Amino acid sequence: MTETRITDTSEIRHTDLPPHHTKLVMKGNSAAAVAAKLCRVSLVTAYPITPQTSIIEEITTMIDRGEFDATSVNMESEHSVFAALKGASLVGERVFTATSGQGLLYAHEVLHAIAHMRLPIVACNVGRPSFPWNIWADQTDSISQRDTGWVQFYCESSQEVLDTVIQSYKLAEKLLLPVMVVLDAFYLSHTSENVFLPHQNLVDEFLPPDQRSGNRVDTAQPRAFGGLVGPNTYDDYNKLYWDDVNKVEKVCNKTGSEFGKVFGREYGAVEAVNIHKNTKKVLVTMATITTTVREVLACYPDIGLLKIRLFKPFPKKSVLNALSTAGDDCNIITIDRNFLGDTEGALMQEMKRALFGKTCKVFGVYAGLGGRDVSADTIEKIINLDVDSPHTEEVTWIR
Amino acid sequence: MKMMKPVNEFIIQKENIFSGALSCRGCGWTLLARYVSHVMGENTVYVVPACCFSIIAGPNPMNLMKGTVVHTLFAAAAATATGVRHALDRQGKTDTLVVVLAGDGGTFDIGLQALSGAAARQENIIYICNNNAAYMNTGVQSSTGTPSGAKTTTDPSGKKLPAKNLMGIVDAHHIPYYATASPAYLNDLVSKLEKAKDASGFRFLMIDGPCPPGHKHDPEVSIELTRLAVETRYYPLIESQDGDLIISYLPKENRPVSDYLKPQGRFAHLFGDTDTNGIREIQKQVDDSWQRLLKMQEITSSSVRK
Repeated sequence: MTETRITDTSEIRHTDLPPHHTKLVMKGNSAAAVAAKLCRVSLVTAYPITPQTSIIEEITTMIDRGEFDATSVNMESEHSVFAALKGASLVGERVFTATSGQGLLYAHEVLHAIAHMRLPIVACNVGRPSFPWNIWADQTDSISQRDTGWVQFYCESSQEVLDTVIQSYKLAEKLLLPVMVVLDAFYLSHTSENVFLPHQNLVDEFLPPDQRSGNRVDTAQPRAFGGLVGPNTYDDYNKLYWDDVNKVEKVCNKTGSEFGKVFGREYGAVEAVNIHKNTKKVLVTMATITTTVREVLACYPDIGLLKIRLFKPFPKKSVLNALSTAGDDCNIITIDRNFLGDTEGALMQEMKRALFGKTCKVFGVYAGLGGRDVSADTIEKIINLDVDSPHTEEVTWIR
Repeated sequence: MKMMKPVNEFIIQKENIFSGALSCRGCGWTLLARYVSHVMGENTVYVVPACCFSIIAGPNPMNLMKGTVVHTLFAAAAATATGVRHALDRQGKTDTLVVVLAGDGGTFDIGLQALSGAAARQENIIYICNNNAAYMNTGVQSSTGTPSGAKTTTDPSGKKLPAKNLMGIVDAHHIPYYATASPAYLNDLVSKLEKAKDASGFRFLMIDGPCPPGHKHDPEVSIELTRLAVETRYYPLIESQDGDLIISYLPKENRPVSDYLKPQGRFAHLFGDTDTNGIREIQKQVDDSWQRLLKMQEITSSSVRK
């Protein structure tokens, strides 16, 4: 356990330390575990899977030490992990779990049920692919759950993991939608970096206790939940769901901005870097690859970066707004760390959908699958794709 | 002349379910729901995986039970109940009962992993399986609770292998209380429901589930057939408290198993022509199981677990 414990460095003060924060060195997985505690989650279900395991280990350790007032239940599968959360959330508790790859895929059926029972559950997924065995960074697992109805955030840093979990409960409980917070395996889950850890009072100010009324188990008012719905009314539920899905992007941006006021760090559905009228290419990224692109971009004043933080539902308005300052001749290059057995990666598909009817060309690259390192050199190769050549394919594999 | 007041000897004086249950005529589920809700009371959360009862309990927003019903996924009854239980406990509602109402498919087969997990964790829930010995809600397909010889749509010549010994699996989890019961023996059923209610930890009850469309018999003989199942020792009534197994009802006569099998269409093929091997084989299984139970009763009464 020592390797996953948070180093207490409260004596070390950074000059930029925001008020009511402590600066720590934390792995992405530690940030997820501590975020659950800060959000005053009351029930956590657990089942081990690499590379998520240290999240639930840290949570159960904190509970065991009496530092975290929650119930932890060791389940016998991820299907049961999510099924138990479904039951507990229906009774009105704020619940959390974390999983990875096969575990998330195994829980697929329950993910649908949770979403369509409108339960505000937040879960972290440390992304890894399916078969043949591979445990390294890859977003195929969570991307393949994009149609379950869960909101999905992809995180770039430990700080963002911590901050996004906190924002996710706010968003989930406002719209009654479940939220998946995705971390890249190892590059984020097991990489230690500086984190400003907010004090409990800040989180309590931002995130009051779950105030759901109705729509929960109350034996004083017996009801049935989830019973059969016939063809004459089923789509009414879908329509109500759709109405709220349409609000996610706006609520996400509002929540990220409110978060900034309390914590000093602002977030949006997307982040645009260096996009202006002379931008020739925009690289579209998710999660940790973004950090490498930021570094490389310093040498390329005419290359922009568009980071997609909220992936599902895809934030079309924010994307169009971010690209609105770019010229008509600007090309888009999406970097997909997911392979859906399709000609185009998920990010490329979503960007094409968002940019339908626009003049800019969209190119896609597959990079970093199964944990392959996406280094600065890889990014250079992507930047130097000759998108003006008629011989350049629309989709390229970069290694 | 003094009027004699009619004597009301019904076990249930006040129904805890509503009328209009969507069960078939002669189904065991509705009768079971009446007695379960009678014993458990209204401060109960019922967790129902996919099974006949998820239909019988009523389409949204209707609710057969005077209690809360949480419908859940086929494989997830015991896991969902686990979450409900812990959440209620977090809210101090430790008096609220959590009761799973599942079929044999959701218990013997797809839900077994979750059942085993919850039993091994000693979750404070009561798991009740209405065992009608096949996937009846989808139209009579074999489950591992289907007995040998029974015809189903997926074993059209009759199932070759006997049913899984689920009670043996349940026993292996060292739970405080488990029992089998039958709707033909209501006082025994109610007594077992009450014992399950009064115990704490993981409790398991398996109830014989008559099913006229699945077992192919007339609805009016449902209860009589479940009585014959017990009297022929085909469906023994057993009970285990803290590891002591007892046979809770000893049939007075030694009736042949064919008395139970013959009125049911699912076994009709065993009675055709002159080949009675099938019936003899079932009789042997029943006799062997009974002997095994007697030995188990003897062994556990010497308190190996105490």
